[in-house]
Amino acid sequence: MDAFTTAWAGLTGWIFETLVQPAFYALGLMDWAEDAYDWLDFGLYGLLTIAIVYLVCRPLEAWRPVEPVADRRAIRTDMVYTFLARLGVLPLLAFVLLASLQTRWEGWLTEEGLLPPTLEEIFPPLRAAPLLAFLVYVVVLDFGEYWRHRAQHGLRWWWALHAIHHAQRQMTFWTDDRNHILDDVLAALWFGGIALLIGVPPGQFPFILLVLRLAESMSHANVRLSYGRLGERLVVSPRFHRLHHGELSAGAAGKNYAVLLPVWDWIFGTADWNRDAYPRTGAPGTEEAMATGGWVRQQWAGFRRVALALAGRG
Amino acid sequence: MRPLPAALALALVLPGLARANLVYVLNSADASISVVDSISREEVRRIPVLREVHHLILTPDRRELMVGDSGGNELLFLDPATAEVTRRERFSNPYHMEHSPDGRYLVVTSLRRDQVDIYEAGSHTLLARLKVPDKPSHLAFSPDSRFVYVTLQGARRLMAIDLAERKPAWSVEVGSQPAGVIWNNGRLLVGVMGSDYVAVVNPAEARLERTVFVGRGAHTIFPGPDGRALYVTSRVDSRITVLDPLTLEPKARWDIPGGPDCIAFDPEGRLWVTLRWIAKIAVVDTATGQAETIPVGRSPHGIFVQPRREAMAPAPTAGLPAPRPTTAATEPEDLQTEAAAQPVRAIQAAPVPVPAAVTPHPASHPPAEAGSFWRQWLRR
Repeated sequence: MDAFTTAWAGLTGWIFETLVQPAFYALGLMDWAEDAYDWLDFGLYGLLTIAIVYLVCRPLEAWRPVEPVADRRAIRTDMVYTFLARLGVLPLLAFVLLASLQTRWEGWLTEEGLLPPTLEEIFPPLRAAPLLAFLVYVVVLDFGEYWRHRAQHGLRWWWALHAIHHAQRQMTFWTDDRNHILDDVLAALWFGGIALLIGVPPGQFPFILLVLRLAESMSHANVRLSYGRLGERLVVSPRFHRLHHGELSAGAAGKNYAVLLPVWDWIFGTADWNRDAYPRTGAPGTEEAMATGGWVRQQWAGFRRVALALAGRG
Repeated sequence: MRPLPAALALALVLPGLARANLVYVLNSADASISVVDSISREEVRRIPVLREVHHLILTPDRRELMVGDSGGNELLFLDPATAEVTRRERFSNPYHMEHSPDGRYLVVTSLRRDQVDIYEAGSHTLLARLKVPDKPSHLAFSPDSRFVYVTLQGARRLMAIDLAERKPAWSVEVGSQPAGVIWNNGRLLVGVMGSDYVAVVNPAEARLERTVFVGRGAHTIFPGPDGRALYVTSRVDSRITVLDPLTLEPKARWDIPGGPDCIAFDPEGRLWVTLRWIAKIAVVDTATGQAETIPVGRSPHGIFVQPRREAMAPAPTAGLPAPRPTTAATEPEDLQTEAAAQPVRAIQAAPVPVPAAVTPHPASHPPAEAGSFWRQWLRR
C-alpha cells in the first residue's frame, strides 16, 4: 500500500507540475493552484473508483442478473452521467459556489465573535480517532441524505427533476450518478449546508470513500443479491434499493429511501424488507425522453418539467 | 554505504558527537503532522489535527511549537522535543502567523476570510480585526515592530499596517499573486507567485524599487541562519534560488522537482524543504545542491527542525519518550532563521550554480508504527 500511495502521489504530482500548474500560471490563476491540486486528486481518484466499481460490479451483474440487458444505449447514457460526476465537472461548479459561501459564512461568524464548530470539539474522544470521527461524519451526512431523498420524492417540483434518476428501466451500477444537473446542485447545497454546520474533514480517507462509493454503485447494480437478514439492516443492498426503484414505488409512494444505511428507513417507517422482491424499475407517467433520451434530451426534459411543476401545471 | 547514511549511522553509535533532529511537517491536505527523525530519515509519528494545517512558529518563550489549523479554527501547541500535544486553543482561521520582534503582538492572516488579526502576544486577546482586500497571505514585521507588512494575494499588493494605530498605512502594487514576504536590509522582499521575480520594496518610500528574477512561481524567501544567503522557492519552475542578501545577485540555482515551498534549517546548515505536489520533503546540501527526499503526507507546507541528541523512538501508541533537555537556550528567532548550533558551511563554498539531483531516499517507507497494513493505508 505504501508503494501505491507513493506512486499515486508521484502521478498526481507529475500531472500537476507538467500540465496543470503551468496552465494556471499562464492564465494568471496561481492563487487557485492549491485548489486545483486538490481537484486533480479528486478527479484522478474518481477515475480510479470508476475502475474499481466496474471490476467489482460488472462480474456480479454477469453472474446473477435480475433482468437481461435489452437497452445498451440507456446504459451508455448512465455512463456519461457517471464520468461527468466522477471527473469533477459538475462537482467543480458546486465546489466553487460552496467555497465562496463557506468563506462568507465563516467570515460572518467570526465577525460576530463566533467560531464554526466541528464534531470533534463536541465529542473530544473523536480527536484521537480520526477514523471513528470520519465514520460519525458519514452517519450524520447519510442521515441528511435520507431526508433529502424524502424531499426529492415528496415535493412535486423536486420529483420533476428526480424522476430522471427513476425513469431508467435498465438499471445497472452505472445508474447511481444519473441525476439532473439542478438536482446535483441542490444535492451539493444540501450536503454543503450540513457540512457548514458540522464541519467536514478533508478527504484523507480515500479507502473509506472508495468503500462508500462501491456500496452506492452496488445498490443500483443489476444483480439478484440480498445481504441476508442482518446485512440488509446494516447496508443498503441491490435488493433493498431495487425495490425503491420499482415502478410502484415512484414519487411520493416510495419505500427504502436510505442511501447507505437502511436504519433510517427502519426508524421512520419507510422500510420494505421483502427480501424476495425484485420489481421492474422505472417511473410510469414520466415522458419517454426521460427514460430513453440521451443526456441532453433528459436534461432538457427535466428543466421543462420543473418549470411546469413550479407553475402549478406539472 | 553512502557517506551521508554512514555518518548518520556513526552518529547513532556515538551519541554526543553529532546532533539529531526531529522535523515537523504540516500535511495541509492530510489533516496531520508528520514527525520525521532526521537520523533514520523516516517518519516516526503522525499526529492527527482537525482540518488543515499550514504554518507553525515557536511561542515567545520558545518552549512550544504553535501550529495553526486554519480549517479547524484551532492552535495546537506541541512540545518540540517530544512531539507531544500539550494544549489546544480555539482560534479564528490561523493561516500565516508571526510574533512581532518586540514580543508584544501576534499577527495572523486569514487567507480565506480576508482578515488580518492583531492579538496581544501573551494573552491572545484580539486587539483588532482588519478587513483587507483579497486573500491576505504572508506577513513580516519591521525590526522596530511598528509595522506589519501583509501580501494580498488576490489584490497584487503589499500592505503596511501601522501596529500602533492598528490600521493600514499604505499599500503598493508588487505584481500578480504576491506570497512570501521578509524584511532584509531595510527593504521588503516579496515572492511574486504569479510571475518569476522577487519584488524589492522600499518601505520608507512605499515604492517598488526593482525586481529580481528567480524563476516562475516565485513563492517564499528564507534567510539562511548564518546571514550569508537568502533562499527563494519557485513553485512553477520548481527550484530554489540562492541570493546574496546584500546585492540580491543570484549565487546558485537548484532544480528541486515537486514544488518547493517552506524551508527550515538544521544545525548542520542543510535545508529541509517541503515539496507541495509530491507528498515529500527534500533535504538539500547547500554546498552541492544535492537533495534527498523523504515521503510525508499530502501537500506538505510548514516545516520546523528541532535539534535533539537522541533518535526518536518509533512508538506512536506506546508511551512517549520522557522529555529530554531541549536546546531551547540556543533556539532560533523563528523557524526560518534557525540558529545553527554548529558552524554552518559558508554558502560561498558553492558560488557556481549546481544542478541538483533529487534522489529518493533508500529507506523511505514509513515505519511500521500503524500496526497493520490496513491501518497504514487508512492513515493516509
